[in-house]
Amino acid sequence: MGESRGGGCCPPMDLMRSETMQLVQLIVPMESAHLTVSYLGDLGLVQFKDLNSEKSPFQRTYAAQIKRCGEMARKIRFFKDQMSKAEVLPKELLEKESDIDLDDVEVKLGELEAELVEINANNDKLQRSYNELMEYKLVLQKAGEFFSSAHRSATAQQREIESEDSQQAGDDLLESPLLQEKSVDSSKQVKLGFLTGLVPREKSMVFERILFRATRGNIFIRQTVIEEPVIDPSSGEKAEKNVFIVFYSGERAKSKILKICEAFGANRYPFSEDLGKQAQMITEVSGRLSELKTTIDAGLGHRNVLLQTIGDKFELWNLKVRKEKAIYHTLNMLSLDVTKKCLVAEGWSPVFASNEIQDALQRAAVDSNSQVGSIFQVLRTKESPPTYFRTNKFTSAIQEIVDAYGVAKYQEANPGVFTIVTFPFLFAVMFGDWGHGICILLATMYLILREKKLASQKLGDIMEMAFGGRYVILMMSLFSIYTGLIYNEFFSIPYPLFAPSAYDCRDASCSEATTIGLIKVRDTYPFGLDPVWHGTRSELPFLNSLKMKMSILLGVSQMNLGIIMSYFNARFFKSSVNIWFQFIPQMIFLNSLFGYLSVLIIIKWCTGSQADLYHVMIYMFLSPTDELGENQLFPHQKTVQLVLLFLALVSVPCMLLPKPFILKKQHEARHQGQSYAPLDETDESLHVETTGGSHGHEEFEFSEIFVHQLIHTIEFVLGAVSNTASYLRLWALSLAHSELSSVFYEKVLLLAWGYNNVFILIIGILVFIFATVGVLLVMETLSAFLHALRLHWVEFQNKFYEGDGYKFAPFTFIFTANEDE
Amino acid sequence: MGFLITTLIFLVVGIIASLCVRICFSRGPSTNLLHLTLVITATICCWMMWAIVYIAQMNPLIVPILSETE
Repeated sequence: MGESRGGGCCPPMDLMRSETMQLVQLIVPMESAHLTVSYLGDLGLVQFKDLNSEKSPFQRTYAAQIKRCGEMARKIRFFKDQMSKAEVLPKELLEKESDIDLDDVEVKLGELEAELVEINANNDKLQRSYNELMEYKLVLQKAGEFFSSAHRSATAQQREIESEDSQQAGDDLLESPLLQEKSVDSSKQVKLGFLTGLVPREKSMVFERILFRATRGNIFIRQTVIEEPVIDPSSGEKAEKNVFIVFYSGERAKSKILKICEAFGANRYPFSEDLGKQAQMITEVSGRLSELKTTIDAGLGHRNVLLQTIGDKFELWNLKVRKEKAIYHTLNMLSLDVTKKCLVAEGWSPVFASNEIQDALQRAAVDSNSQVGSIFQVLRTKESPPTYFRTNKFTSAIQEIVDAYGVAKYQEANPGVFTIVTFPFLFAVMFGDWGHGICILLATMYLILREKKLASQKLGDIMEMAFGGRYVILMMSLFSIYTGLIYNEFFSIPYPLFAPSAYDCRDASCSEATTIGLIKVRDTYPFGLDPVWHGTRSELPFLNSLKMKMSILLGVSQMNLGIIMSYFNARFFKSSVNIWFQFIPQMIFLNSLFGYLSVLIIIKWCTGSQADLYHVMIYMFLSPTDELGENQLFPHQKTVQLVLLFLALVSVPCMLLPKPFILKKQHEARHQGQSYAPLDETDESLHVETTGGSHGHEEFEFSEIFVHQLIHTIEFVLGAVSNTASYLRLWALSLAHSELSSVFYEKVLLLAWGYNNVFILIIGILVFIFATVGVLLVMETLSAFLHALRLHWVEFQNKFYEGDGYKFAPFTFIFTANEDE
Repeated sequence: MGFLITTLIFLVVGIIASLCVRICFSRGPSTNLLHLTLVITATICCWMMWAIVYIAQMNPLIVPILSETE
């Protein structure tokens, strides 16, 4: 009974307030539970409440199923990994694929995974052997070269010695016994052993040094560089290596060398001295290499075929597994009834969806051949429902911007309604140039015309944001063209588009044009700023005055709109205390000070008076009873000012004091007859508890309410001044934009034009284009966007918006692309 | 005089825009009210900006003084 939320004051407007939500309870028989949740997920209009929140994830009913789904998801991730490595793309998912059974999918996934893992292991082994054989082949080649070159030089030396010997036949035999011995003892060679292998190039010097030191210099090592990098068998990556050959004598040296080779990761390969055997080894190795290559290629081909078959069904399986996982998570949130024959679900859903939900329940019961249907009933609760706005692609961007500040409380007025227009408008006030506006319009028209195609692609972060906000940017560009026409700026050049300029020389000779200036001879320029102003010496004083006053006028209007929104909220929630002691004092305070200032501005413009408005406003406070003298703008101004000042001063305690006392009285009146708590009615056969039930006795701390009201009042009073001044940023940014634009035009383009050189002109045009796009179209856009946003979030919304609700997050199967659990 | 005429033009354009939106995008009473609100807000914003700039130039206190280099 005490649940009458407001409403009915004004005709309903889309998007103004959240959809009416209700807490529904669904009682679903076990056999149709899965199908029910699936159909409700397709519908996407129910937000389930977690009825098992005290239970840990392992205690829940369907924990085993979720583990199953997790396993399958892991296998799918593995497949995706393998596919991307092999550069196989999964087939695109068509709209209506036939429904598949989860158990079938599980079995298939298991089989395919085992097969793929086996193929991969085999491939790795084969690849490793292949790499080793490649290295062996290199060793054979290089060491063979070494031996053959050594042999050649040795035989050359031998022949030399023999020729020498034959010359010095007798004498030398006696004089050079060593040589003789050498020649004679050619058969009796010193028994040297040798090892061949490959060592990584960066370690080769250290390798050599350590070998030398470890064997006390009793080795002979030769290294040859291999030109191309070799694939290392153990790591699988290319590395630069050298072929080495080490000659040693003795067993101890051999064991030391072996250990050092192992430490350096130098692979050793056997090598025989015999030339014949060497050639044989080379042919053998080459044969095995080609065999292995064919085997490996066949293996890779087989794997690719397997991956293709996986790729065909990949998207389907992926979607199915994710859907099932989501369904089981949701089923875990339902509570099991005492009889263990049905599940109870509680959730929020919009009122308009009741029929659709009941329909879905019906279909699920029929499709699952269950004997009992599901029960759908609405619960009464004091909990605050989630906020749900039905947006289309045009309004969703603005709603997201508003939600970024805070989600609207259930059924409070949505600032998004007016933000759709005022946000682009305030942006345009700060951006005002119809040339730049046209550029942005073209850019965003491209995004909008290619909407369908770009929506399915994956764009980068920045493009994603720009694409999401394309309709907002469209509005911004349209308004910018309008304000550009008003400020009369086309890349900072003014044009007399609508009529000739209103100003002209005082006399025929125009002698005083640069000293005293022109005078207004014709009617006011009909649309926008007179084109004569650009480039004059008095341009800035005039424009600054105009734009500052415009900012104040626009700001006061928007703030008044904000306070009027709070009136609509008060009327909707039927809170008359808010109307009389919040809305009215706030209106009076703001308008008697800043509304009055706005009126003075307009009167000064209309009459052309020379009154100093700063002086008027300040002395209205400092010495209100003084005579105004030459600052008088209209008769009886002094009296009017005194009255307004009085109203403003009276409205402050009106905002502060009455409301807490009235709230206290209301609270006492409400809880007077509530000493006895009413009995809970249980008219349903099933005993069902509503979680999050009624609060019982609400708390009312008077001091808290009073302090809250005090803070609110101070914030409003001080905020009136600071917020009004904050709107001056409209002036500041528009000045910055027009000055930057005019600098780029005059100092780049006109300068380049002045040189009468085609080259310099082209460079000048390029610099102008880059500067315009980079600084004005990108940086200024972002800057004006940010400031317009701030004006909305702070100055507009703090007049009425509470924004402490939570968003409606229905259970749905629309997954975002990067949702991987 | 020029002020009133142009204000009337803004009014007429606003009414025509509301009618166009009502004819082309009619989708139920609450949505129509939203569209009407948006059109009226846009018209008022545009009119306000034009009116401010126009009135500011009606009786100017500063006149344009041309700069030296012509």
